[in-house]
Amino acid sequence: MVSGVKRLRFAWIGLAPFLILVLAFEILPILALLVSSLSAKDGPTLSNFGRALTPTTLAAFGNSLQLAIATAFGGTLFGTVVAYAIATSRNSAMRHVMTALANVAANFGGAPLAFAFVITLGSTGFVTILLGCLGIQLYPDFRIYSITGLGIAYLYFQTPLAILLVMPAVAGLRPEWREAAEILGATASQYWRRIALPILAPAISASFFLLFANAFGAYATAWTLTGSDVNLIPVQIAALVRGEVVLDPALADALAILSLLVMALCLIAYQYFARRMRRTA
Amino acid sequence: MSVRFLTWRAPVIGVFTAFMIVPVAATALFSVATRWDRSLWPEGLTLAWWLKVTSRSAFADTLLNSFWVAAVSMLVSLIAVVPAAYLAHTRLPQAKPWLELLSIVPFSLPGVVLALGLIRLYSKLPLPLVNTPNILVAAYVIVTLPFMYRAVMNTLESVDTRSLIEAAQSLGANPLQVLGWVVVPNIAAGIVNGSLLVLSAVFSEFVLANLLIGTRLKTFPIYLVEFTRSDARQASALALMSFVIAWIISLAILWTAARPGRRRQAESPPRSR
Repeated sequence: MVSGVKRLRFAWIGLAPFLILVLAFEILPILALLVSSLSAKDGPTLSNFGRALTPTTLAAFGNSLQLAIATAFGGTLFGTVVAYAIATSRNSAMRHVMTALANVAANFGGAPLAFAFVITLGSTGFVTILLGCLGIQLYPDFRIYSITGLGIAYLYFQTPLAILLVMPAVAGLRPEWREAAEILGATASQYWRRIALPILAPAISASFFLLFANAFGAYATAWTLTGSDVNLIPVQIAALVRGEVVLDPALADALAILSLLVMALCLIAYQYFARRMRRTA
Repeated sequence: MSVRFLTWRAPVIGVFTAFMIVPVAATALFSVATRWDRSLWPEGLTLAWWLKVTSRSAFADTLLNSFWVAAVSMLVSLIAVVPAAYLAHTRLPQAKPWLELLSIVPFSLPGVVLALGLIRLYSKLPLPLVNTPNILVAAYVIVTLPFMYRAVMNTLESVDTRSLIEAAQSLGANPLQVLGWVVVPNIAAGIVNGSLLVLSAVFSEFVLANLLIGTRLKTFPIYLVEFTRSDARQASALALMSFVIAWIISLAILWTAARPGRRRQAESPPRSR
């Protein structure tokens, strides 16, 4: 019994490196931001949050939400269709190649990706010239350095991520269910509305929320592509970190806490749907 | 029926593949083009940009810096996560939900927010942390925690570790022998998978490197971003290199992903955007 207690104590010591690292570099920094955002000279306050919401930061929230919703929705929609096409294909070599492609591309991002899109869709980019030859002039109405251009670049990693997330659920749709529905006289749209989509719903929702968080916190791609031209929340926070904008620290921290809150809500929603997905799968 | 399937499936997969391939292919072609801004095809081909960019000493330096930071982060992550996950799984089930929670939190932590928090917390303390590679490594261990923890825990859960340990103990193995000869070989796939995920995340990371140490220790992504503003052709060579490195690591991850771990790994969100 005594040795058992000793062993248990030894086990806790084994957790120490993990706990110390997490405490020092994950928990305490978050707490530092939280405390600072909630305090003023004369005690605890919520006023920092009110003051942090200047027209510029409100616009940044608007842009960030818009970008995150649009690319999460577009990525999930396109990704689900592609996942269905891949899963129902009878060519197994093609299935493997496409899954590997999605795996690899979901990990792309940041500076190299932003730059690849400048070469592809910039004012003298390959696709811009190609479309020009076909009589479609992209510029000056479209710019890759705008929020729309940023959205297209984000879709590059959002779509494959959605494919990976939705694929297990799509692959679980049995052909017999469709046949049974058809035998019972269901039309294709009835099959999708009543059977397939309800089965896929948790996976699609999980994908949406994860993609949303993925886009909302993204900074490197936006920074490389647009500098600080497109006003986004991560761009604002980074400017504060660099000291480009002089603002009192409590306001920066309030902004960081607000974005942390948005991210946390998204990931809780993701976890909820991912768990339901596992149960139905 | 199958004809109808074929007709819609081919364009969907075709559009997706083109979307994935064209930007990378255009970058590759741009990096070997003499001039390519007014014609559909490059006006000439050259290796000049590649030779120019790779012959700079800063190129080798930044590449080495990135590999070095990635390797150290991976080691620290292994030392912190593997024993903790193992002990929580086998001895301290009451600690497991907490570890689980702590290793998910970094997902909701954007790089800019973590950087802000770290600077707020440590810039006032007289510790050799801010503006040094140490804080970068620490931040990388935190942001890659979900990958390492999930990869290791998935394999621990999939191989019935407890019975293996009991079997080894009943055959007279001491705790170190159990760990070295029984547990580690059985979860090696998860350890390798987690390590590769850490490597690939750290190697391409820009935000934390940029905000936490800036120019003190130039990593490869920072070098690349500098070039995108000065010399597009050399930048395209660097961008292609980081694509290829990312490919190699991703394919290695796919290759090593243990079967039970694979599905959950696919659910892990990527990073470093």
